[in-house]
Amino acid sequence: MRLLLLLSCLDLVLVCNARAVEAQQDQSSQTETDASYDPDAEFSFDDDIFAVAFDEESTAEKSWFDDFTIRISQQISGQVNSHRIDFGALGSLSKPTTVENNRVQINIRYQNAFAPGWLLQGTGWYRLYWDQDYMAGNTEIDSHTESQINDLFLQYSSGAHSFRFGNQTVVWGEMIGNSVLDVINHIEFRDFTIIDIEDARLNQPMLIWDYYGSDNSSFSSFINLYPEFNPAPVRGSPLFFDTGINLPDYNRSGKVLLEAGTQWKKSFAGSDIGLMVAYLYENQLRYDPPDSGSVDARPAINDFLLLGFSANRAIGRLLLNFDLAFSHNILANSFAFPGTSTLAAPVNLRKDQIGTSFGLEYSIDNEQDLSVGIQAQKILDPDAGLPTGQTLVSDEIFGNWLIRYSNNLRNGDLLFSTTLQGDLEGDSFFAALGLDYTLNDNWSLSSQIISITASAPSPLVIFDQDLRIGATLTFSF
Amino acid sequence: MSTSRILWLTSGILLAWLEPWAGWNQALAESLSGLEIMERVEANDRAASDSAFNRMQLSSCRYGVKDNRITCAERPRIKSLESVGKNYGPEGKDTRSVTIVLEPAIERGVGMLTYAYDDSEKDNETWLYLSALGRVKRIASSNSDDDSEPASVFGSEFTTEDTDTGKLDEYSIRILEETTISGRDVWKIEMIPGEEQARKSRYSKVNYYVDKERFVTLRAEMFDQYDTEIKRLLAERVEQVNGVWLARSLTMMNLVSNRLSNMAFLEMYTGVEVEDDFLTTRTLTDVPFRETELENLRLQLD
Repeated sequence: MRLLLLLSCLDLVLVCNARAVEAQQDQSSQTETDASYDPDAEFSFDDDIFAVAFDEESTAEKSWFDDFTIRISQQISGQVNSHRIDFGALGSLSKPTTVENNRVQINIRYQNAFAPGWLLQGTGWYRLYWDQDYMAGNTEIDSHTESQINDLFLQYSSGAHSFRFGNQTVVWGEMIGNSVLDVINHIEFRDFTIIDIEDARLNQPMLIWDYYGSDNSSFSSFINLYPEFNPAPVRGSPLFFDTGINLPDYNRSGKVLLEAGTQWKKSFAGSDIGLMVAYLYENQLRYDPPDSGSVDARPAINDFLLLGFSANRAIGRLLLNFDLAFSHNILANSFAFPGTSTLAAPVNLRKDQIGTSFGLEYSIDNEQDLSVGIQAQKILDPDAGLPTGQTLVSDEIFGNWLIRYSNNLRNGDLLFSTTLQGDLEGDSFFAALGLDYTLNDNWSLSSQIISITASAPSPLVIFDQDLRIGATLTFSF
Repeated sequence: MSTSRILWLTSGILLAWLEPWAGWNQALAESLSGLEIMERVEANDRAASDSAFNRMQLSSCRYGVKDNRITCAERPRIKSLESVGKNYGPEGKDTRSVTIVLEPAIERGVGMLTYAYDDSEKDNETWLYLSALGRVKRIASSNSDDDSEPASVFGSEFTTEDTDTGKLDEYSIRILEETTISGRDVWKIEMIPGEEQARKSRYSKVNYYVDKERFVTLRAEMFDQYDTEIKRLLAERVEQVNGVWLARSLTMMNLVSNRLSNMAFLEMYTGVEVEDDFLTTRTLTDVPFRETELENLRLQLD
């Protein structure tokens, strides 16, 4: 499920980076919409239409507003296939056609290198939910509005060292979107389509120290001063499934939790490698059944040790990516999908797990890219310590695969992308089509169709036969 | 003032002093072969990218014709870029460069680091900083191996093949004729890639129109395997920058898609002291480091 969300995020992120998004308009440019051109004919040309750039004052006074990047987006999306999912003896689930998201979101990014060696950076969002949005009926927010600060950190760099303190994220691994090493940030499972990656990937208060060697190598170490956990899905959201049991946050009761880790990276000709080690808490809370008379499940946390290796290799148009993770003392019965399988039988066994994500990116030509990836994990020695007659829920190799194709046209203004994804067991299949169009210097429009097919025991079964259509209109400056 | 700064200023003065001898220079030029002419052109290009700090504007649009003049048929999309480069290798034919997007706002901070090698046995290397993901990513494109395809430069009609220098030995080069372009005497030079280079190139041949006095390409025509012209490069604003003749405005027309991109070099400085550490992936991610180093470069220009 996490992968699903990240793929949605990834679509948007890659679009944002790939397309030639709006720029300042050259007011002096000549525009002739009815013009045509015969390449065999000789025509005069001069660069007067671009000449204004040479006349601009290059040392113009910097405005305080230059440090801001603002995007205002109107998003609407919904589930359009009215159907019912049959769970046999457990009953059925009605999935009517419904608008899920109808909101305005303002994303603000501030980045100011205010003195030599110093940087202050912050990002956040503010949302206004229209009546049809599922959040409009949420009692945990007031006035149909919500806001969140994501990044907010101070950075100081001097010589070979750099220090960052504040809310931020740490991304490990070569595979984008489904790396077994990208487990430091916690994730919010709320929407199928998001506007910004940080709508889903959440920041944590950290102190990070980077050391850059002279041989294209670097060490990056972090201490997470307040590890957080994946929040439960918001009631009413597309990813919420009502089990009749509440999934509360973990109550620290004054207990101090810390995470720490370090990564060494080095670039060689045609390749980058990384080694990492970290002491972490599993992002996904594990829930035990409620006490008698209560509807609140009992959240438990679990610390574990992560050892990792990552590498890539560029061979012509092909880029190979590889991540390897060894996790010591993870809870064998914890899953990544809250609300269903996290409420597992209390086996409470700590196990070791090995996981890998690997894949390739192939640049077909200047406009087209293809990427293929597989993530696979295996709990080691799964039967050890189990009472007679019990087995782990996942005692075989489990994971997922994905294929992504993108084609950008008109110097990146028009981008078509498709993503296919499924689990290795063949119980779920996810398909997404995206079309993103940059209309002019400030406006862009993105649209998406998402289809899910799934069967038990995949947790995605509650989205079986769902068809979602969404569109987002964005004004940025 | 740094030693290198003095050096390039000196070379600029020297070239200026030699200007009256242009007639003699042209006489010498008359005896040059096609290969020697293109080597002089590339030497100019390399001089412009060595220890260089540039501010550029990259504009792209669909084009058409109005009153016999080529013009944008829509409002051009504009990217503002800042780049720093330095030549490496025994003959200075390898280049390391970093380019940062200043505008548009939504792409601000996106950066690209490129190591380009003259040796055809070595793949070029490119890393891209994806600000939304907060990480640097190696890119699978823009390589110089047998199977690779030239990569687009920031989504424009320029490709790495159009901007790369070197590997002239892998071409068959000959002077087709002497003619004029915009009142300037030029050689029309045909470059046909050899068997190995042909596999890497989109073009079956390129015709260059090289200014006989300044050794600057004023126009180029790129042909596909059917001998059809598919792209055309037009150079404007040829000026002497730091003692080197360069075109500050380059327009690449894609005759197939009817789109063009203009690369305008708004500011060009060479001979600046660029630290080797700056041309690493750190520059893409460590913003205060990058801004401090860029400020140091700007101070050298004052």
